[in-house]
Amino acid sequence: MDKAQRIASKQKQISISEFFEKNKHFLGFDTHQRAIITAVKEAVDNSLDACEEGRILPEIHVEIKRLEGDRLELITQDNGPGIPRESIANVFGKFLLGSRFHAIRQTRGQQGIGITGVVMYAQLTTGSTTTVMSKIETESTAVRVDLALDTKNNRALKSNEDRIPLEEWFEESGMQSAHGLRIRTVMAAKYQRGRQSVHQYLRMTSIVNPHATIRLKVIGKQGEIIDEGEWIRTTKKLPRPVVEIRPHPHGMQFGTLQRMLKNTKERNVKSFLRKEFEKVSPLVAKKILEHAEIDEKKRPSGLNVEGIQNLLSAFMSVKIQAPPTDCLSPIEDLLIKKGLEKAIDSRYAATVTRTPTVSQGNPFQVEVGLVFGGDLPSDGAVEVLRFANRVPLMYQQGGCLLTKGIESIDWRRYGLEQTGGKGVPKGPAAILVHLASTNVQFTSEAKEAVSENEEVLEELRRALFEVGRGLQGHRKRIGQREKSREKFDLINKILPEIAIKSSSMLGRPEPDLSPIITKIMNAVFCEEDVIWDTKKKLARCSIKVYNYTARARAYTIIVKWPERDGVRLIENERGGRKETRGLWAWRLDAINPGSMTEISFAVEGLAHGDWKEAEVFFRGNGEIIGSEKIDESLLEEIRKQEGLKGVVEEFVEVAPVQRQVIEVASERDSFNEADEKKEWKSGNTLF
Amino acid sequence: MVVVVQDRTRSKEETVNALHAVAAEMHDRMMRGEPPRMTLPVRSKKNIAFDEKLSVYKYGSKKTIRDATSLGSAHQLLRALHVTEFMEDMIESKKSSTLREMYYISEGWGYGKFSSQNESNNLAEDLEIVTGCLREDFKLRPEEDGARIIGNLTFQEKNRRGEWMRINCRDDVGDSGYGVPYNVESEKLQLIEHDIDFMMAIETGGMFDRLVENGFDELARCGLIHLKGQPARSTRRVMKRINEEWGIPIVVFTDADPWSFRIFASIAYGAIKTAHISEYLATPSAIYLGIESGDIEAYDLPSDELTPRDIEALKAEKSDPRFQSQEWIDQIDLMLDLGKKAEQQSLAKYGLDFVTDTYLPEKLQQKLGLVIG
Repeated sequence: MDKAQRIASKQKQISISEFFEKNKHFLGFDTHQRAIITAVKEAVDNSLDACEEGRILPEIHVEIKRLEGDRLELITQDNGPGIPRESIANVFGKFLLGSRFHAIRQTRGQQGIGITGVVMYAQLTTGSTTTVMSKIETESTAVRVDLALDTKNNRALKSNEDRIPLEEWFEESGMQSAHGLRIRTVMAAKYQRGRQSVHQYLRMTSIVNPHATIRLKVIGKQGEIIDEGEWIRTTKKLPRPVVEIRPHPHGMQFGTLQRMLKNTKERNVKSFLRKEFEKVSPLVAKKILEHAEIDEKKRPSGLNVEGIQNLLSAFMSVKIQAPPTDCLSPIEDLLIKKGLEKAIDSRYAATVTRTPTVSQGNPFQVEVGLVFGGDLPSDGAVEVLRFANRVPLMYQQGGCLLTKGIESIDWRRYGLEQTGGKGVPKGPAAILVHLASTNVQFTSEAKEAVSENEEVLEELRRALFEVGRGLQGHRKRIGQREKSREKFDLINKILPEIAIKSSSMLGRPEPDLSPIITKIMNAVFCEEDVIWDTKKKLARCSIKVYNYTARARAYTIIVKWPERDGVRLIENERGGRKETRGLWAWRLDAINPGSMTEISFAVEGLAHGDWKEAEVFFRGNGEIIGSEKIDESLLEEIRKQEGLKGVVEEFVEVAPVQRQVIEVASERDSFNEADEKKEWKSGNTLF
Repeated sequence: MVVVVQDRTRSKEETVNALHAVAAEMHDRMMRGEPPRMTLPVRSKKNIAFDEKLSVYKYGSKKTIRDATSLGSAHQLLRALHVTEFMEDMIESKKSSTLREMYYISEGWGYGKFSSQNESNNLAEDLEIVTGCLREDFKLRPEEDGARIIGNLTFQEKNRRGEWMRINCRDDVGDSGYGVPYNVESEKLQLIEHDIDFMMAIETGGMFDRLVENGFDELARCGLIHLKGQPARSTRRVMKRINEEWGIPIVVFTDADPWSFRIFASIAYGAIKTAHISEYLATPSAIYLGIESGDIEAYDLPSDELTPRDIEALKAEKSDPRFQSQEWIDQIDLMLDLGKKAEQQSLAKYGLDFVTDTYLPEKLQQKLGLVIG
């Protein structure tokens, strides 16, 4: 063997484990603190992806035990479809580098190393095997096997393979699920709490996966509980299944194109272009090849470097339709709201899902959520929650495009503190940013920070402006409420005391306060209040209109309520009428000077936290403090839109009856529900 | 020609009637169906003007109306009523309380409670202004520290047993000097005799102690009074009495910075906060001895850069009616120009005796025509 060959073969032998050693920092195993987070992340991402593919509502348990000598035992358990016995070795034992090369869709596991890295890390640091227990629905028993890695041949070594009866599976898994996967391993790692912890990772994961129930338990050496968390699902709606698409010419890079040309089964470049790319019609293919001065009949593998370069520049010169965007899986604004509310207690939540768009041939979509008030600390910087394709980004916050987007906005005008109108704002708020894309560009292999992209930044800023405006409206309503509360304090508490005190000091009669109150207030006030009736599971809304002017006043009061299927307005004694979808109106009798009229009703079919603040509008003369005059032309616009929608709704309402026999009916229903929620939401922003 | 202001102490009845007038203004308006209110002069530099007759700055004619149409003002009115009632009680029961005690007593006043001591102090001043009484009439004592005096001056002070005590501020006191009581009216303090040519008011304790140690009071035949920063009312009042009753000039020796200029203004022209009683507290003939802006260069004194706050304060002084004389405009402009300020104690650069041997004698000769030693 000559020297070069010897070196090459030696390189090959050590390649996998050496690759791992050398790239520990890319793979997320560079420190003991980070290793456990990465291990949990790989396992949980796999579970979520598997459940999504199997259309199962995920239930995931993570258990971590501290062992002697800086080691941790990690157990993850899910109710996913499980892995067939014969595939276990492949899933856990092979580095699946590049296996999904052509498939362009939005997936969580973009690290490319996956769970195999965890098996490898455990083996390298503690010599432990990884135990996998898998139960698939079609089998009556579960399979249990210990895995080690044969790094030389890039395959798994199985040992102690065994079948276990169903009862034992139920007991071990702690779930009553006929399918699922359990992984147990021991690794050199350290559990720590804080901003970069397993706890935070799971909390963030639960926010963007509101359909998942996730539990965490961390146990110390003496069996004491060090940390725990429980995030229960807030929706039964599964994320939309992601569709695979082919690459789009605009996103092409030299190396990728070269590989595609080499591997294609197509015989000539024209059919190669037509079959392997999105949005390339025969006409477009023809134009591209004309531009590149390449013969249509040429074999794809026969293209030289110059040819490939010509092809690339032709891609950019020929007009090509944008790629389809239905391959993306946004969380959708209502679910973000639910996710945020499950993890963060707040007074106000606003969310925006932008429509998908395209940058350099890659479809992408930006989603933003903002929560404000409640128990959130008001002195520190706002919590920034970053996600790429539903995966939490926990490191390198400062260098991430998503953070830069937040920093580039002057939040002061929306009521948050910010030094010089730049940087991460301060205040009792948390901001969530989610970038969904078939190709998220990161600043480095560590995949923790999204890299610069003008189009993504622009979309992000638009979404942030929108939630910012929502926050502004909320703060305005709070301000008005505060102002009227002050006035009420003034006339109900302070003024009577001034009257009593001055009269008694001087030994004079007490003055009649009503004309004074009218002079001080000289306005009509409106107070709204929405409370949650835990017992009856109702949102109760009360609207009080006080007339503190010198003459009688008559108004129509219009309240926005979360109208949608399964949600009803009840206990509405005053009746009134539907103004349009989501708006109910009551015509009030004249309110005399100094008197008050109350409207009260309840809304059934909502969940706790769905509706916290009622927006009140009025029709009539003058101003009402705490309420806005309704914009009649806007209302007309909505009515017109509703007229069209009415037809669609009727159609939809008939459909479920036919579908009842079909298994997916319940899921379809939840789709409808969500769509309608969205409609109501979009109505929301009109005012 | 100096107008001697007499004691303004009011009788018990006069005070109670004045307090009732405050409540009556509110009550009358309520009986007419109007929101209750209190009328006050505007208490800012925009509303002080020189009173030719009294030679001091007084509040001008700008009025502010505090009426119960906003929660904040309504609170103030209610507090004013609580405070007047409390004062009436004290007058009746012949007790007195400190401003701080009143602040704590307000805990029991429900919605009339003060939220800070500053509020209660301001309200006490407001009531002085609207009633024309002094806080002494209200039986309110300040918390502030009275000044210290050293020099050959003899006072007679009524002690707690009601006996008059004769005190010579050079022979009968220790190094800390004679402590000026909060009440310096003739019912409590009488000026008996003296053997001094002038009275020197000193801003900082360090400089006061230096002059005492160097025996400057005897060397220059003067009385020394320590101002302790912005001088308390009693300090200003006692200086005014010394000036008027004995005809002794007052010279003021402070740091060279914008805040020291204000200290001098409150002594000579009247303070903005107490402009309603300027004629009773201010000594129009007081002379600013130094340290002047020009001294920083003339004596090559160690100095500090002006801070942004200092610069803001100097600029504010330029629109303060009390600093409109050419001397003050020059003084302020020069300091802004230099961008520097200096402390009294920076004179120690030339040794501990420099201030008493050189600086002060030079200044006194220049400003008063006095030759020391």
